[in-house]
Amino acid sequence: MYGLFSWSRKWWPGVILLIAFWAIAAWTNTVPLEADLAARSTAALKDVVLDKTQIAVDGRDVTLAAEAFSQEGRKNALAAVEAVPGVRLVNDETRLVPEAKPFVWSAERDVTRVSLSGSAPLPASKAKLLDAGHAAINGVEIVDQMGLARGAPPRFDDAASLLLAQVGKLKDGKVTISDTSVSLSGMARDLGGREAIAAALKDLPEGFKVATNDIKAPPYIFQAYKDPVAVTLTLSGYVPDDKVHGAIAQAAEHKFFGEKLVDNLKSSVGAPSGFAAAVIPALGALARLSTGTLVVSDREVKLSGDALYEGAAAEIRAGLGKDFPSSFQYKPEISVKPASAPVDPTVCQQLFTDLLSKGRIRFEPSRTTLDLDSIALLDRLIEIALRCPTANIEVAGHTDGDGEDGFNQELSQKRAQVVVDYLVKAGLPASRFTAVGYGSTQPIAGNDTDEGKAQNRRIEFLVR
Amino acid sequence: MAYLVMFHWGWLLASFLLGLAMGWISVVQHGEGLSKVTSRWVAALIVVLVALAATRVVPGRFGYWLDLGLILFACYLIGCTIGALLRNWVVSRQRARPAA
Repeated sequence: MYGLFSWSRKWWPGVILLIAFWAIAAWTNTVPLEADLAARSTAALKDVVLDKTQIAVDGRDVTLAAEAFSQEGRKNALAAVEAVPGVRLVNDETRLVPEAKPFVWSAERDVTRVSLSGSAPLPASKAKLLDAGHAAINGVEIVDQMGLARGAPPRFDDAASLLLAQVGKLKDGKVTISDTSVSLSGMARDLGGREAIAAALKDLPEGFKVATNDIKAPPYIFQAYKDPVAVTLTLSGYVPDDKVHGAIAQAAEHKFFGEKLVDNLKSSVGAPSGFAAAVIPALGALARLSTGTLVVSDREVKLSGDALYEGAAAEIRAGLGKDFPSSFQYKPEISVKPASAPVDPTVCQQLFTDLLSKGRIRFEPSRTTLDLDSIALLDRLIEIALRCPTANIEVAGHTDGDGEDGFNQELSQKRAQVVVDYLVKAGLPASRFTAVGYGSTQPIAGNDTDEGKAQNRRIEFLVR
Repeated sequence: MAYLVMFHWGWLLASFLLGLAMGWISVVQHGEGLSKVTSRWVAALIVVLVALAATRVVPGRFGYWLDLGLILFACYLIGCTIGALLRNWVVSRQRARPAA
């Protein structure tokens, strides 16, 4: 052993070369070693949830700067890096993600984009919400302005995902979660969207509650356009259901004559109450116009167009009758069609005959009360009568063969008189009109069929 | 430690071989080498350096270079020791043979 001590005193010359080795090894290996440790540390943190992770290696010492989402996550991160082989020391520059109080998250939709802002509890939540956004809202850019914060309520991800799905049903608007309170505002994309959103909110995770729901429905619109050139009545927009649809189509058939019905109506929920009661009289008023447009938007009924003569315009402006629901607002914009050029009485007769071949003046069964559906036809007859101011006109009433002759004669006489009264009331001189009742004495079709009887029950205008 | 050895095994082997050669020579080399006093100072220096390394008080790259220097030196010493003992064994056999 003494020899070894003795020899060791002669080992120093090799140390000079050893120092050279050391210097070269340090020169060439420091950077690769640091890079290797950085890579191993990064790999070790792969399964630890952190934000803003920065790893700096100085020699064998690792400085870990990151934001952790819990104390436990912070400890786990440090332990993971400390366990990396080769790491000598870990400088802890981690901190906890700030806590948001209240924890607010929101999604706002405008025409071109959906912006997600506020706080998300974890990076995974952010990714999940972005995915949910892309799934719910096709073709719209999703802008991520979310930060990360602690303090999210339990099941936040589920609540936010559900709300994002509702944003897909909005035209524009905003949904917000503040702690466990949910607020919604904006305009639904489709009719029924508001109701669909309200229904979906019932599935919010337990603990969440809807503080405010100010989602508005788009206006419930029904439109009718009477086109005198194409001779069409075009119905478009929405009706509540098939029953109301049928009632409106039937009313249009009765109130209009000659016009081809173009029915583009669609069924949708969300109609204001009393919809049919407002639309049907409004269609009657539209039928009286030469050309016109009816727009029912929510509870506003807007009728614009040209009446055939001044009296009709005044009546239409005055209102839609006692059955028109008071909750609806009626806004008529009625002008009067310029008077047509006067014509010869023979032309007048031709016009009366043509018109009455297209539509019939109707009365309530076995009574002398004018059916309101015939008003539009009467307006057209008045317009023709105004064009031949010198012609005297016989208004002839006829019945079918049912019933006693005396009753029929009287009924036809009274009905003809009612028509004459209506014409006089409209401003025509009474002296030009004679009401004559023919009963069933002048049938134009057989009285053995319902169709024939219907043809026989008629009012004729004869220029004398 | 294992990581350092794995990462620098080439340099450690070189230090070991250098030590082996130095140890081999030292047995038959004439002269006194370092004085006892100097040896003690060197030993004391090494103890201090080992203590610094063990307590990890030297920061960053300097700490790494200290660790690296010490394990190179350790390999060198092991090499020297083995080299010296081997040479001593060889020399003793050569001396024994003529006598036999």
